[in-house]
Amino acid sequence: MSADYGHDHHDDHHASPWGPHDWSHGAPHNSFAPLIMSAGFAMFLYGFANVFIGGEVADLGALSGVMLGLIIITMGLLVWWRQDMSADGIYEPKATGAPFRNIDIRKVSMWIFLMSEMMVFTSLFSTYIRYRLGIQNCGEVFLSGEWVEGTSVVCFEPAAHLIASSWFHLAPGAVNTFALIISSFTIVLALKTAKMSDKKYADKYEIDMERVRTHRSRKVAMFLGSTLFLATLFLTLKMIEWFIGFPTPGPLTDLNHGHSEIASLYSEGYTIHANSYQHYAYDTSYHDGHDIPHDSALYSMMQAGTHPGGVMMADIRVGASTFFVTTGTHGVHVLAGMIGLAYMTLKALRGGYGPSNAVSIEYFGLYWHFVDLVWVLVFPFFYLF
Amino acid sequence: MAHYTIFGKDPYWMNFWGLMILTAIEVAAVGVELGDTITMSILIGIAIPKFIMIAAIFMHLYGDADSKILTMTALFPAFFIIVMVFFIGLTSPGSATELPAWCRPGYWT
Repeated sequence: MSADYGHDHHDDHHASPWGPHDWSHGAPHNSFAPLIMSAGFAMFLYGFANVFIGGEVADLGALSGVMLGLIIITMGLLVWWRQDMSADGIYEPKATGAPFRNIDIRKVSMWIFLMSEMMVFTSLFSTYIRYRLGIQNCGEVFLSGEWVEGTSVVCFEPAAHLIASSWFHLAPGAVNTFALIISSFTIVLALKTAKMSDKKYADKYEIDMERVRTHRSRKVAMFLGSTLFLATLFLTLKMIEWFIGFPTPGPLTDLNHGHSEIASLYSEGYTIHANSYQHYAYDTSYHDGHDIPHDSALYSMMQAGTHPGGVMMADIRVGASTFFVTTGTHGVHVLAGMIGLAYMTLKALRGGYGPSNAVSIEYFGLYWHFVDLVWVLVFPFFYLF
Repeated sequence: MAHYTIFGKDPYWMNFWGLMILTAIEVAAVGVELGDTITMSILIGIAIPKFIMIAAIFMHLYGDADSKILTMTALFPAFFIIVMVFFIGLTSPGSATELPAWCRPGYWT
């Protein structure tokens, strides 16, 4: 006996540009919805770029553009959902033209979508590189002695200077890296479990064929749920890192420069409108106990009495903006994945996945692995260096 | 799904443990003060294999019937990435003043 997974019955469907697709007659699932959403995204991003200045809402016209953009995106999503929600993932239209002939259209589409995503993140990375190399590093400015206490200097302050300054600051980012790798693996396990033939599954878990469907559903839901949990952990730790902070375990306080709390980036003043940022490393009195490098210009100037020392204030808005925009864009992708995972977990619990439609998990997995892939680059270059 | 093994073991498990170990080395390399150049070299040296391992094994760009064409598809943006990183990101690295005024700090205040 073969289990019946995820079959929907949709004999009454009629092909319509806006309504549910006619899956039973093999209609291609072309849709206007992505075009609508693209227009919405364009309006949202254009408005969003103009709405805030210095952390304040500066342009109500732009704000209405943001709201209208969000409404259009939501409408596009609803149309898309209505058209595709009837798909059971069993009927897979194949590409007919070169070079993708006979490959599932959904698979090709996902890869083309990921290509556009690569371009998005590449633009963020090239912006980061351009600014990081184009604006003098705050650490170098400090050691050059070309600053006066009380006057802010424009320089690039990588978030890594703060985050990698102690194991505690680094902890949320490091845990998140492991969480994403594990989540990439759990989604592979969900796919493997869903794809296994009923006979093989029954043999592997030594159960009767009648129990395969229920057993498999629970297992797939467990792996998808684990992925969802790890994604939630990722965003929670990101919020802790950005806005909340956490206490240092008592005996380890000494390792945190004597502080009993790991401050969030926000509390440390690392924000997109920080024009007078003061990191402890830019405090010459702090450096009395930590040695300013003797070959630095600042040391020579202080020795010669031509520099009074003090605390350097820095305008770090560019560095902070590149950090928050890049890691924030990645976070939005994690959030989008969580919505997909929540739906898929519920579907799995209802017996929605089996060997005939497991590719749906594979195609979502491509997106999820891509999110992991981006983090593989974001973590070292934004958090560690 | 993969129809091959790595050292006789399931490729997904091997890939998973490989990624975990590389990440642990990456984090440790930052904790041990080795200097900027060495640290950067280690980070790049680890990011590249991690990137390839995820793409090739988890995303099935290796070992499937359609892996070749999909790898070519995935690499297609590489041209634009090279242009953006090398000809925009790395141009005139010493000069912040060459950035357009609207890109520079202070313009929007």
